[in-house]
Amino acid sequence: MSHRLPTPLPPFDRALLRAVVSVVPAGERAEWTRAWESELWHDHRRRGAKRGSLTAGVVCDTLWLRGDSWRRRFEGTAILCIGSLAGLCLLSAVVTFALTGSWTECANYLSTLFARFLIAAPLVVFVTTATTFRRPLETGVSSSPSSWFGRQLFFGFKLALILLLTFLLSANLCQPLATTFPNLADVLQLFSFVVLALLGLRWGFTDQEQRCKQCLRSLAAPCRVGRPSHNLLEWNGTELLCKQGHGLLSIPEIETSWHQSSEWIGQQPAWDEAASA
Amino acid sequence: MATRLSHSAALILKALSLGYCFGFDVMEVTGLPSGTVYPALRRLERDALVESKWEAEEEAAKHQRPARRYYEVTSEGKAAALAATERYPLLAHLAPERNA
Repeated sequence: MSHRLPTPLPPFDRALLRAVVSVVPAGERAEWTRAWESELWHDHRRRGAKRGSLTAGVVCDTLWLRGDSWRRRFEGTAILCIGSLAGLCLLSAVVTFALTGSWTECANYLSTLFARFLIAAPLVVFVTTATTFRRPLETGVSSSPSSWFGRQLFFGFKLALILLLTFLLSANLCQPLATTFPNLADVLQLFSFVVLALLGLRWGFTDQEQRCKQCLRSLAAPCRVGRPSHNLLEWNGTELLCKQGHGLLSIPEIETSWHQSSEWIGQQPAWDEAASA
Repeated sequence: MATRLSHSAALILKALSLGYCFGFDVMEVTGLPSGTVYPALRRLERDALVESKWEAEEEAAKHQRPARRYYEVTSEGKAAALAATERYPLLAHLAPERNA
């Protein structure tokens, strides 16, 4: 790209660009290099020997592009959801370790609580499943067995991680009381686990409902459709879109005899072919 | 509805709307460092408040310099700049408008 420059850039600027260009997403490298070569050339001409005024700009711009590329790639994905929950579990385990002081103490403390967790967790899952309001879902296009399996696998992982996270959080909350008031700490731990798990699992159910049935990304752009004052006359509710264009989820505001369930309107395969043509 | 901007983003948008359309012109007129200005320009472009274009190669070649990337405020950006000036009244005294 340097051939476009009337005079070459100073060695420091060339080295700087070479050092950070690999951080820029591949598709944007040519444009980025051209833009920064030009900026640095003009800056050098204007300021003469005083260099380095744009160094922070080059580095921050590069990092911003990389961060934005990751954001676009992973925002709302199932991987990000599972990764975040697993990261929080890991962080909670580190906090437990820090509170107890050693791995042996940590393992002993958690193992005493774990038996209760194994009994309480299925009960909490049962109560949440029985009490969480979930609309039945109609799918316009029948989904493939693999996508159904993927959805269930993701849902199972997510619920398991939520339970583990809430268990660790409740253990951490009550650990300071465990040595002085062991009975009170046990009761509080169980109580806080149940409350946190109920809230977490409810979030898990809602999050699952509002994900694309194909790619499992969070649905976006919620849009109110219809008039609430016409509840008994016509449909009204909220529609959410998959940013990848896989379909649209239509959630009615209230259940009526003619529209009781949410509806997933998948994009017909013919549209995929038309879009790729 | 106009986008709510941070103070530095509002400052940069105001400078652009006054005709300071290159990255380091914006740095000079706002006094902000390059590490703030360039990422902010990217964010403003992502939010469709500004758009970037390249100078014509012929024009740059005539002056024996490489073409520069410049920024223009979009209609949404103008509305956001107006709202930002109401929110941060001192922005109105930032700098004189630059003649094209």
